[in-house]
Amino acid sequence: MSESSAAASTTFETDRSEDGSDGTEPEDRDLVLRVEDMTKRFGGLVANDGATFEVERGTITGMIGPNGAGKSTLFNLVSGFYEPDAGRVEVNGTDVTGMEPHKITEHGLVRTFQTPRKLEGMTVREAMLVGPQDQPGESFLKLFTDPGAVGRAEEENMAEAQRILEEFEIDHLATQPATSLSGGQMKLVELARAMLAEPDILLLDEPVAGVNPTLTKDLATQIERLNDQGTTFLIIEHEMDFIMDIADPIVVLNQGSVLTQGPPDEVRTDDRVVDAYLGGGG
Amino acid sequence: MVDFEDYRENWASMSRTEQGTTVGLVLIGVFLVVALLSGALAPAYLAFLVGLGAMYALLSLGLNAQWGFTGLINFSVAAFFGIGAYGTALMTADSSPIAGGFNPLVGLVIALVLTAILAILIGVPTLRLRADYLAIASLGLAEVVRLIALNERQWTNGSAGVRGVPTFFEGWPVLETLPSTLPSVRVAVVPGSPIVLEAPFYGAFLDLVVVAVFLAVSYWVLRRVHRSPWGRVLRTIRSDEDLAEALGKNTYSYKMQSFVFGSLIMALAGVFAAHLTRFVAPGTLDPITTFYVWVAVMLGGSGSNRGALLGGFVIVAIREGSRFVNDVGALPVDPASLRLLVIGILIIVVMRFRPQGLLPPQKELIWPGTVDETPTTIDRGVRDARVGDTDE
Repeated sequence: MSESSAAASTTFETDRSEDGSDGTEPEDRDLVLRVEDMTKRFGGLVANDGATFEVERGTITGMIGPNGAGKSTLFNLVSGFYEPDAGRVEVNGTDVTGMEPHKITEHGLVRTFQTPRKLEGMTVREAMLVGPQDQPGESFLKLFTDPGAVGRAEEENMAEAQRILEEFEIDHLATQPATSLSGGQMKLVELARAMLAEPDILLLDEPVAGVNPTLTKDLATQIERLNDQGTTFLIIEHEMDFIMDIADPIVVLNQGSVLTQGPPDEVRTDDRVVDAYLGGGG
Repeated sequence: MVDFEDYRENWASMSRTEQGTTVGLVLIGVFLVVALLSGALAPAYLAFLVGLGAMYALLSLGLNAQWGFTGLINFSVAAFFGIGAYGTALMTADSSPIAGGFNPLVGLVIALVLTAILAILIGVPTLRLRADYLAIASLGLAEVVRLIALNERQWTNGSAGVRGVPTFFEGWPVLETLPSTLPSVRVAVVPGSPIVLEAPFYGAFLDLVVVAVFLAVSYWVLRRVHRSPWGRVLRTIRSDEDLAEALGKNTYSYKMQSFVFGSLIMALAGVFAAHLTRFVAPGTLDPITTFYVWVAVMLGGSGSNRGALLGGFVIVAIREGSRFVNDVGALPVDPASLRLLVIGILIIVVMRFRPQGLLPPQKELIWPGTVDETPTTIDRGVRDARVGDTDE
């Protein structure tokens, strides 16, 4: 998305919440993502059943829940990869329900995947260059009608990619084949690449699954740094130490709907959460 | 003068397969020149062969733009080739049941427009679905197009085919009559078997100019788009379509562009073929063409433009070369009938020992001028690493 449009929609959102804050918005909260009554059925299986939650701008929101709680389905619904049976998703105040994923990305929501596939035949910096939005070189015609602009944009993007790789301290990997990276390095590159798309909110699906402790720490540092710089995060993670350490608030999902939501300490001691994880909740 | 040192440096920077390929090409070139000079190979026939090779190279480049770039499985190469051929033949030939007699340039444009329409029609329902649906639909399309050409006599002359397709330069000033006005030349390098250059050769040579222009333009365009952000999105789609979507790329639109673009290049080959052989029949649409082109692309290396180029010529070399094996040494069987077997074995051997093809892309594909120096040693690892992934 372009920055101006993102800024415009933010202003719009603020205006609207000021006007219509009566009753619906008790506090003056700035929401990046708002998910209402999300429902998804696969045949007889109800994966999400009226899940409702919000992500406030500037937070790192964690999402936990036992296996099969519907976390990944919810991610797919929010990011547009699945079509919801009912419910509503708003990004920056815009209704994006049922939009195609690339459209939702334009509105400022970018996601990563649990198991990223490696980009065959690309070096790391090539793979990074897929991230930036609105590249003139992505139009077939402009390659021939306006090669100058293509070249300039490519140069800028390359510099930006290099800068972000340096910030992530993985610039030494820039010219390595993307296929030669370890799983943990790949997750770092994914995160770095997602940042090139300049998201308002970044959805991470199990960012540290299968990643060694050192790299996990690196990832946590990076996520916190990016959060300080203004990116909002929504993170699914099973690694409890990691998520409890980094995220606040935490949304707990169980059997397709939101069980509870709150600060890590509260969630950790909540009996319903313990029950859900131990299988006694049903 | 070209510096000899340059050559030596170029040579040193090549990978072993590149060196091998170069040696092979030079040897074949020398062989052809010797055959030509000794009078064993008629110059007009050589021009025809090279034209045929270029035609297959075009088809391979087209398929490579679909499969090699984007990972689209298109089994209707023959159909798009045929649409190109029929499109121009029906517009230009005397015997056309629809609208003959137009300038071949009109035929070219009509053929390309028809191809684009057909590609979009088949792409709209299938490109939103998983990759295999396009494969199945295109397989069906190829047969539908062939059967229409065979049975709808009022449009296509049916199995009789369209005869009397003019040369590409019919109706052009000077070029139309050039072959018959040029003087006949006889050169006797080897006494007793002179090389005769006359009208048929000049005609074949002009055909060669047509296909050379088609090929050069296509190759230039492909090279440019392959290194562009556009091509990079296609390569991302090939590896992981969901990822491309999540990064804000409209994958459906990109797949459509890639599909139509590749099909247009295939149609160019068809247009050339129609004017080369001056005749188009439903046999043009036989699925064997699709098969050959797939082999050519895999042989050269999926995703590699120069690989597709090489693959196209190699296929023609095998196809046409096998006609003459019996002239050299007597085999107990007719080698022409072994052609398919040889090509089949060849592709198995390549897939087993060099799955990335002969000339896989080895350079980073970044818009020219963006990075100062593309590292050469690491480049090579880009694809080699992939082999390691699959083999070990």
